Amino acid sequence: MKPPIFDYVKVSTVEEATAILADSSKEAVVIAGGQSLLPMLNFRLAAPEILVDISGIEALKSLIERDNVVTIGAMTRHVDLGSSPIIARHFPVITKAVTHIAHLAIRNRGTIGGSLCHADPAAELPMMALLLNAELMVAGGKGPRTIAAKDFFQSALETDIQEGELLVSVSLPLLPPNTGWGFEEVSRKSGDFALAAVSAILVVNDGEISEARIAVAGVDETPRRMNGAEAMLRGKMLDDDHLTAVCETIQSEINPETDLQASSNYRRHLIGVLTARVLKDAFAGAGGIFE
Amino acid sequence: MDINTRPKIIGARVQRREDPRLLTGNGAFVDDRQVPGMLHLAFRRSDFGHAKILKIDTEEAASMPGIIGIYTAETLNEITKPVIAFSNMKDYQATPIRALAQDVVRYVGEPVVVVVAENRYLAEDALNEIFIDYEPLENVVDPEYAASGDAVLVHEDLKSNILVAREFERGEVDEAMSSAAIRVKGRFRSRRKTAVAMETRSYLAEFEKSSQSLTLHSSTQIPGIIRDALVDILDIPGHRLRVVAPDVGGGFGGKASLYPEEIVVTALSKLLKRSVKWTSDRMEDLMSTSQAFDEIIDAELGLDSEGNLLALSADVLGDVGAYSIYPWTAALEPIQVVSFMPGPYRLANYRGKVRGVATNKPPTGPYRGVGRPASTFVMERLMDMAAGKLGMDPAELRLKNFVVGDEFPYRIGSGIVWDKSEFSECLNKATEKLDYETLREKQRIARSQGRLMGIGIASYAELTGIGSRISAAPGMPINTGTETARIRVDSSGSVIAYFGVASHGQSLETTLAQVVAEEMGVKVEDVEVVLGDSAVMAHSTGTYASRSAVLAGGAGTLAARAVREKIVEAASLLFEVPAEEIDVYDGLIHVSGTNRKMDLRELARAVYSEMGRFTKEVRENLDLEATKLYDPYFGTTTSASHIAVVDIDPETFKVKIEQYVVSEDCGRMINPLVVDGQVHGGVAQGIGAALYEEVIHDENGQVVTASLVDYLVPSSCEVPTIDVLHADTRSPSTIGGFRGMGEGGTIGAPAAIANAVADALAPFGIEINEIPISPERLYRLIEKARNSEKD
Repeated sequence: MKPPIFDYVKVSTVEEATAILADSSKEAVVIAGGQSLLPMLNFRLAAPEILVDISGIEALKSLIERDNVVTIGAMTRHVDLGSSPIIARHFPVITKAVTHIAHLAIRNRGTIGGSLCHADPAAELPMMALLLNAELMVAGGKGPRTIAAKDFFQSALETDIQEGELLVSVSLPLLPPNTGWGFEEVSRKSGDFALAAVSAILVVNDGEISEARIAVAGVDETPRRMNGAEAMLRGKMLDDDHLTAVCETIQSEINPETDLQASSNYRRHLIGVLTARVLKDAFAGAGGIFE
Repeated sequence: MDINTRPKIIGARVQRREDPRLLTGNGAFVDDRQVPGMLHLAFRRSDFGHAKILKIDTEEAASMPGIIGIYTAETLNEITKPVIAFSNMKDYQATPIRALAQDVVRYVGEPVVVVVAENRYLAEDALNEIFIDYEPLENVVDPEYAASGDAVLVHEDLKSNILVAREFERGEVDEAMSSAAIRVKGRFRSRRKTAVAMETRSYLAEFEKSSQSLTLHSSTQIPGIIRDALVDILDIPGHRLRVVAPDVGGGFGGKASLYPEEIVVTALSKLLKRSVKWTSDRMEDLMSTSQAFDEIIDAELGLDSEGNLLALSADVLGDVGAYSIYPWTAALEPIQVVSFMPGPYRLANYRGKVRGVATNKPPTGPYRGVGRPASTFVMERLMDMAAGKLGMDPAELRLKNFVVGDEFPYRIGSGIVWDKSEFSECLNKATEKLDYETLREKQRIARSQGRLMGIGIASYAELTGIGSRISAAPGMPINTGTETARIRVDSSGSVIAYFGVASHGQSLETTLAQVVAEEMGVKVEDVEVVLGDSAVMAHSTGTYASRSAVLAGGAGTLAARAVREKIVEAASLLFEVPAEEIDVYDGLIHVSGTNRKMDLRELARAVYSEMGRFTKEVRENLDLEATKLYDPYFGTTTSASHIAVVDIDPETFKVKIEQYVVSEDCGRMINPLVVDGQVHGGVAQGIGAALYEEVIHDENGQVVTASLVDYLVPSSCEVPTIDVLHADTRSPSTIGGFRGMGEGGTIGAPAAIANAVADALAPFGIEINEIPISPERLYRLIEKARNSEKD
C-alpha cells in the first residue's frame, strides 16, 4: 500500500493553488488534512500527478463571526471546530457532531474543507452544512462564486466543485432565538462511519414549531434534508402521534443501501428511532413542551 | 534481613522493563531495521478464490525502473522444498505449502508472483504490469458444502476436502441423554476472525557476505521452529541460518506459523546474496495472516431434574481454509473445540465428533484461546439454556456441577485431565465482587422499566504449560513440551539469562528477570534477559499456548538455582567458610551472621580474572554458568469465571458492556500488573469475537473485510473497565507453581457476553447462537420475535 508517484507543491496563497488546479496539462488534487486522500493514494484508488498542499495558506484558517454569519476557513481542523467557543455558542449541534468524526488523531489533522469536498455520504460535516443552510465560497475557475449546500453535494464523493476551483470558506447564518437542536448517530464502534445519523433544528414560538430542519446521513448517496417531514412539522406542536407520523414519512422517503455492516431495513429502522430522539431533544431545547 | 521476611520479587508489581523503550518510540521492530543495500519485495496475490494459473507474463514489469527481478513458482519453487505439516492423526490429509502458488490458487490473497525492487514503491508500481491468465475453478466457500462431497476438491489429489476427522465417546451418551429430564440443544456458529496485531508481519533476511550466512529478523512467535523449518526448505546448514525475533508488536497466534512470505524473503536473500525485506500492509494482513474461530457446532446437553449434568454430545465442523498450516496442522482448532467442550464440569457421558474441512479461504491457524473460545461459547450457552429450563440461577447450576476438592485430578470425556484448580472459588469471588443477588434485583427493576439488562456468566478450564507428554497441537509430531534457559554470570559480574522463547507483548523480559532474580538472590534490575534468538539455544520453539511463564519460568528457575549453587561454592572457597554459611541476597554474597560480604562483580573477578585465587582443579570446574531444560510433562490447569453485565438499547440494539469481572486461577503470579494486563487484552479480543470481528468472504471467495473500515476491532471506547480477581493458588504440577494465563481472557469473554445478551433478551425468548452479535443480527432476531408475538 504505497502511493504511485506524484509531484507535491506547497502553496501559500489561494491564487497559487487555483493556478495549479486550473492547469489542465496535469491532474492536480488538493491536499488539506490528508485523512481521506492519503488512504486513497495508498490503496491506489487515486493517482493524481500533483498534490497541492493548502495547509500553508493562512487565509483559510480563520473562524469569525460577523453580521450574523459565522465564516469558517476551509483549512479549519475538526479539533479547532469542535473546541471553538463561537461554534459552541451559535451551533452547539456542530460541537456535538464533531465528537462523532472518527478519532482524535484524525480530528487533529482533518479539515472542514476536506470533509465537505470529499463528500462522504456518511460524514458528519456535509450533513451539518445542509442542516445549517451553509453557503460554500469557492475561488478560482470563472471567478469566485457561492454555492448553497443543497446544490453542493451531488452524489457519493461528488460535489459541484469545478476544475480549477478551491473551496475557501463556509458561511453559516446564525439561528433565530428559541432554537433547539438534536444530533444522534449510530455507528458500529466509536469513531466509525455512521450507519445512520440524524440532526434537527427546530424553532418554537408560542409552543408551535415555526421552523423545522431535519438532515440525515449514511442512508443515501448524499446527506439529505427531509423537506416533506419539515413541512409536516411547521406550524404544529410536537406530540407522540405527530412524531410517529413524521418519522414514518422520513422512513418512506429514504432508500438506504444494504452493506456489510447494516441492511437497508435496519438503517431505515434506525433513522426512525434517531429522528424521534433528535426531534424531542430539539423541541425541548427550543422550549417546546412535548405532549 | 531474616530470610522469611525478605520482600519477594516473584509476585511483586514490578514495572515492565519493556515500557520505556516502547513508549518513547525506541523499540526495535523488524521494519525499523535498515541494512545498506537491502532490497524490497511486493507480492502479486491471487484475485481468485480458486483458479488454475495458465500463464504469467512478467516481461513488461521486469523492465520497469528499479526492478531487480520477478519470481514465480517456476523459478522460486525450484530452490525451495515444499513444507508439510505432519500429523499422527488417523485419516489426516496434509497439504504441501509452497513459497508461491504452484499451478493452482486456493484463496484470494495467496502469493503468486514476487517483485524484487530497490524500494517498495517501485515494487508496487510493477505489480500492476504483471498479467496472469487464470482459469476459474469452483469456489468452495461454504464449509458444509465443502464437506458434502458435492464440492470440487480444494486439493485435487486428496480424497476429500475433509483434512481431519475424529470421533470419540465416553460413557453411554444415548442412554444418558434419553433419560435426561432436561435437554437443551442448538446449532451454534462462531464466525471467522483474525489477529490484527498492531505490527503487521515483517521479515528481513540479512545476508552476511563474509560468512555467506543469513539472519532472518522475523516478527515471529516461534523463531526456533522457523529456523528448523527453513533449514530444511532451503537446505542450508543451521549454523548459517539464524532466526531472531526482535521487538514484536503483538502476535495472538497470527505470528505463530510459518508463512510463504517468510520462505520467499529468505530464499531470495540466499539466491541474490543480498539483504531482503518485506513488511505486510494492513490489507495483506487481513487477507493472508492466519485466521480462526470458524466453526459450526451442533451440541446437546442433558441434565436430570435436579440440574446434574448427565450427557453431552457435540458435532463440530471447522472451516480450516485452504491449507493445513505449518507446524500446527488443520487439526489444531477444530479438535480442541471438541476436546475442551465438557469444560470444568463433572460429566460422565460425552460424545464428540469433529471434522476440519478445506475451503477456498486463507488458512486458519492458532489464535489466542485456540478452540476454547468456541467450545466455551457453546457449553456455557447450553448451561444457561438449561438453567432457564430448570428455573435455576445460572451461577447455582454451575456451582452444582463444578469438579471440586478430592475429585481432582479429573479426567473429562475427551481424555483431558484437570489438575487441582479453584473452579468454584473463582465463580464465588466473581459473584461476591458484583454483589450478584443485588444485581439480579436491579435487573428485575430494569426489566419492569422496559430496559434490556443482562447478566452473563462463563466458566471454563484450559490446559496450559503443556509438557512433552502431549503436543500443543493435537497429533503434531513436533516437541513443544520443553524449554531451556542458560544463565551466566560473566567476568564483569553481569547476570545474563538466555531463553529460546520469544516475547511479543507478554512482558517476558520483566517476568523472567523476576524469576531469575529471586531464585539467584540478585536484584531484578541486574538480570539481563535475552529472548527470541535461535543462535543462543540448541533448541527452542517459541511463545504460544500459554506456555512461556511455565516452561521458560521453570527452566529459568532451575538454571538460576544451579548458578546460585556455583556462586555459593565459589564464595565458600573465597571466604573459607562452609557453603551453608553463605547467603546470597540482593546481589550481595554474605557470610551469615558476619559483616563479611562481596558483590557479584568481585566474585566474578575472583573466579574468572584474578590469578592465584583458586587451584587449577577448582578453576577447571568452576564457572558461573548453567543451562537447564524443563519439561512439565503433562502441564497444568488454568481456570476462570467471567461475568459480564450488558445493557442493550431497546431501539438501536447497540450492546453496551456496563460491568465486567474476571476471576481467575493462574496459579502463583509472577507479576500481578502483567497478569492483569494479559487479562485485559484477552478480554478485549474476546469482546471483538463476541460483538465486532468477522472476516467475511463472499460466494466467490473474495474477502470483503479487507480494511479496518469493514473488519471491526474494538478500541478502548468499546472495552469497559475490567475487574480482575485472582485465586493465586500454586499449581501442584509445575516448578514455581505457575499456570499459563495469556489466552484466558479471550476464552471467557465471548461466552460471558453472549450469555449476558441472551439474558437481556430473555423476555423475547431469544437465544444467542451466533457470534459476533452484530446490531444487524440482533435487529433481525428481535424483529422476528416481535412479529411472531403479534401473530
